[in-house]
Formats: sequence, structure tokens, C-alpha cells
Amino acid sequence: MTKDELIEKLKGIIAPYIQDEAAFANLNEDTDFVKDLKINSANLVDIILDIEDEFDIRLENEDMEKMLDVKSAMAIVNAKLEA
Amino acid sequence: MVGNDIVDIAKAKKDSNWQRPRFLDKLFTGKEQEFIKNSEDKTITVWQLWSMKEAAYKLYVQKHPSRFYAPKQFECVAHASIWKVNYKEFSCYLSIKKTTDYIVSEARLIPHKMTSELVVFKDENLKSQSQVLRDKLSERISKIESISTNSIEFQKSEFDIPIMKFDSKRMNVSLTHHGRFGAFAF
Repeated sequence: MTKDELIEKLKGIIAPYIQDEAAFANLNEDTDFVKDLKINSANLVDIILDIEDEFDIRLENEDMEKMLDVKSAMAIVNAKLEA
Repeated sequence: MVGNDIVDIAKAKKDSNWQRPRFLDKLFTGKEQEFIKNSEDKTITVWQLWSMKEAAYKLYVQKHPSRFYAPKQFECVAHASIWKVNYKEFSCYLSIKKTTDYIVSEARLIPHKMTSELVVFKDENLKSQSQVLRDKLSERISKIESISTNSIEFQKSEFDIPIMKFDSKRMNVSLTHHGRFGAFAF
């Protein structure tokens, strides 16, 4: 999967939970789930579960700790897919 | 130092389905899940424990500036009727207020009575809510310190930790909003 394909997949997963449309329209690797997209922290877990389902992977506590922005989400998914 | 968190119960019910597979297991320890299972109103208990974890996290990062997402590692523990949240070596006391509409949790390093002041919003626009909360907090501090609100400056650190600056003082504060409700403490 290319970087762009991965970002597109993540965008689809994140979309239902965002609370800032403008930041979502400009989404890039540096976009922060909470600071930029204003995603409620209780919904971060839904994003984590949706990522697990979409890519058929399981995230551990250490992975969850870093799940604060697009870049980290991409790194975690890539690492799991390569494992 | 203080950390607080509010949950609008109606919004939480609408936005999250805590019964979806693996949801509880991602956020709560085995003991917490047991406590939820045995509670009278499971939905309320889920959101109470959640807000306690959030409040404790907000206090923790003031003491140890950082940013991470580890709700499961912040464990809620009840001693008699006193709630504590433990994370590694860190431990804090929680006060909780529950109504039919919202749950507020406040975390401090010592046992305390709730000081968080509630704000009911007219609209659900997040930016205006943040501003209203900051203005109300600023007004409160100006009264207590007998200074003008103009001399109080609100700042957020790189870790998203809020602080109020005035004169040469830095005051630890905590602000929270969710749905129709907000609260601040200092």
C-alpha cells in the first residue's frame, strides 16, 4: 500500500469522528487528532478499533499511547502490516 | 494543580457505543470491567470511570509535562467511598459529581471537595465554547486576585496543557467541555 493509499484509508476511518471540517479538508501527516481535528478523546478508541478491523491487526497498549496524530497512526499500521 | 473532565451523558450515549466488541477492554482494566458489570447503571459507570481517568491524566501531565493516550493504565480504585486513580508511581484523589445530565470529575494530589464550576453552553460550537470557558475562568481569577482580566493571559503548552499567566505568576488550571456542558477549576 502506498503512503497516499494509507492516508486515504485512514481519512475514511477518521471522518465520522472529526469536529473540525476545515482541518479535516487539509488533513496531512502532521494533523493531530485532538488538537486539529478536535476528536473527542473517548472516540480515539473507536478510531483504534476501526483501524484494527480495517487492517485486521491488533494494537497493544504501547501502540495506543502514540495514537495522537496521522503520522503515528501510519507508522503503527505499517509496522503491524510488516510484522 | 488540578485536572478535571466533564461528560455530557446524552452526547456520550449518542457518540459512543461502549458495548461494541473490545471497547471496554481497550480502556478499562479487568477490575474496572468487573466493577462496571456489577454496577446498577453500566452506561453511567462507564462514563464516570472514563471521566475520572481523563481528569487524572490532565493532572498527571501538569506534573510531568508530556502527551500520550493510555487510559487503560490509569486505574480507578475505590477505598471505602474515596476514589483514587493510579498510574505507575503516580496517584491522585478524585471528587465526582453526577446528575442526570452530566458527570464531572476533579483530580487533585490530595483529598478535596469538588471546586469545578459548571458552565451550560447556549450552542455546541467548540471554538466559542472554549472561548466562553476561558473568559469565565479569567473573570473568576480576576475577582480572586483583584486584577483586571486584561492582565490575565491564557496559554497552552506544546503538550496542550493550559495555564493562566498574570503578573509573574503562573496558575495551573483545567478546562473541560463536552456537548452542552463545560467546567473549569484552578
